[in-house]
Amino acid sequence: MIGQSRVAELELPGAAVEGASTRPAQSYWNESWERLRANRIGMAAGVLIVVLALIAIAAPLFSLAVTHFQPQTIDLGATFAKPGSAHLLGTDELGRDTVTRLIYGGRVTLGVAFLTVAVSLTVGAGVGMLAGYYGGWLDDILMRLVDTVLAIPAIFLFILMSILFRPTPISLALIIASVGWGNVARLVRGEVLSVKQRDFILATRSIGARDVRMMVRHLLPNVLPVLIVAASLGVGQIILIEAALDFLGLGIQPPTASWGNMLTNAESYFFHSFWLVIFPGVTIFITVLASNIFGNAIRDAFDPRLK
Amino acid sequence: MLAKYVARRFLASVVVVLGVTLITLVLMDRTRGTYVPGIDLNPSLRPEDIARLRADLGLDRPFYLWYITWIWGVLHGDFGRSMIDGSTVMSHILDRLPNTLELTATAIVIGLIVAVPLGVVGALRRGSKVDHTMTVVSVAGFAVPQFWMGLILILVFSVTLEQHGLPWLPSSGAFSAVNGGDVLDRIQHLILPATVLSFFYTSTWSRFIRSSMLEVLSQDYIRTARAKGMSERRVVYLHGLRNALIPLITLIGLELPGLVSGGLVVEVVFGWPGIGKLAFERALQYDYTTVMGVTFFATLLVVAGNLIADVLYGILDPRIRLA
Repeated sequence: MIGQSRVAELELPGAAVEGASTRPAQSYWNESWERLRANRIGMAAGVLIVVLALIAIAAPLFSLAVTHFQPQTIDLGATFAKPGSAHLLGTDELGRDTVTRLIYGGRVTLGVAFLTVAVSLTVGAGVGMLAGYYGGWLDDILMRLVDTVLAIPAIFLFILMSILFRPTPISLALIIASVGWGNVARLVRGEVLSVKQRDFILATRSIGARDVRMMVRHLLPNVLPVLIVAASLGVGQIILIEAALDFLGLGIQPPTASWGNMLTNAESYFFHSFWLVIFPGVTIFITVLASNIFGNAIRDAFDPRLK
Repeated sequence: MLAKYVARRFLASVVVVLGVTLITLVLMDRTRGTYVPGIDLNPSLRPEDIARLRADLGLDRPFYLWYITWIWGVLHGDFGRSMIDGSTVMSHILDRLPNTLELTATAIVIGLIVAVPLGVVGALRRGSKVDHTMTVVSVAGFAVPQFWMGLILILVFSVTLEQHGLPWLPSSGAFSAVNGGDVLDRIQHLILPATVLSFFYTSTWSRFIRSSMLEVLSQDYIRTARAKGMSERRVVYLHGLRNALIPLITLIGLELPGLVSGGLVVEVVFGWPGIGKLAFERALQYDYTTVMGVTFFATLLVVAGNLIADVLYGILDPRIRLA
């Protein structure tokens, strides 16, 4: 029960007084952080994600200092090289180094995933907050919109949009986010509806706080845990969606490497170079696994009710 | 009470379906008239031929007329004609539907057969090694890209087995082109794609049944049943499992659209001639009418699935207030 204390309940008396809300609120974050730190597997998964992200960001450095290959340098003298000392994980049909392409592919894949999550959260939180806070006809319209977006089978919508808008990493993120915001909006709306009933909101209103202040200063901090949980659980799923679209040839286009599109022609390598099929898939698997484990750890730490 | 609830839910569904057609309208308007399929393949077309083609496809009319015509057709079960081969979109859908249903229904049934016992065992022996192993497998199941799992299965069970002269499984299609089509042949083709799909369903549903079962077993009526001396077996299966399975209906209702769209990636990997593969192939060929038709058809299934699941849920669980 103690674990259930939320920001709102702790900042009851002086919610509107500047600074007064920060101390108890911090204790919620501290508490969550302690819970998260105690989860060793979860922390290990989180560290792995950070390391992967750092490697992706530092891709040019790795390509210069570690692998000594560029992701798009074609070497027709070294096609389908076996994994070995020259090429750690071998080369593909054009003699491109697999490790280097995986590292650069990670930039694209992780970049798209994080951007998608950021856009989904921003739009979803905004819509959910407006719908939940104002209610009435605005709520009806926005939520029917959410129902509609979520009713179209996502994979068909992605296919339609990716033939309409030539996918670049940014447009691909927007395409995936165009569905992803719906669930976030539903979550946030539900949370806002419950927070709205608390006494501190009434207190805040009674001292004349305006709508914008109410939403940004008082509602947003209370839906933040929900958003953090949604974000951390969403990354893995989005990586899977993005990889599938790339694999189908509907996402990031070659020669730009992404984990998904490195597998597009995999079936033609089966007979002689199976490692080209193994490594990108294993990379996706490990990354998504780590994201999911970390996401679960975050959920357990930030929202013990959901455990 | 129930009738009123169903009516209200039905109205909400109609709103959603209309909303979907609006989104379709926007997407159609973006593409309408920018491209006549096949024109780049035939440089000898004269301008008047192109004009005639555009008129045939209805591309010369203002978009709202085009849209109204399309909606009118949809209301009468007519999704228009393919932009590529001129046959009706409906005939394409009906042509592919049996294959898709064969694959996804098999996967859902196998998924249930495996997931229900796993979920029950996990709940009854919570914290045991079996439970932990299942958790790990299920967490892994969520992280495996379906298309990659398909590729690996093909690599192992088709390519490698064939290379070693062992009996191997076909990697593509729903039946053999030569001397194929009998039940055994179809089952052989079904094994690999159905494995991938059902693995996905199993990892989702077994977790779901486990937590649902745990929740039910902690209820008062279970304690009452035990207190009155009912055998543990009867408690678990008669009172526990029956109630734990109710929420699963919602999940399966949500899978109804998955009957059509859920297997898209798997269909493409295994060359399975289903609806998902149809949409994918036609998308690559810019056959908008077909893709729109399939999308809309699938959306109708989503809405119907949600509606049926909600209503069934209300009937099966009287505690749920229909309001």
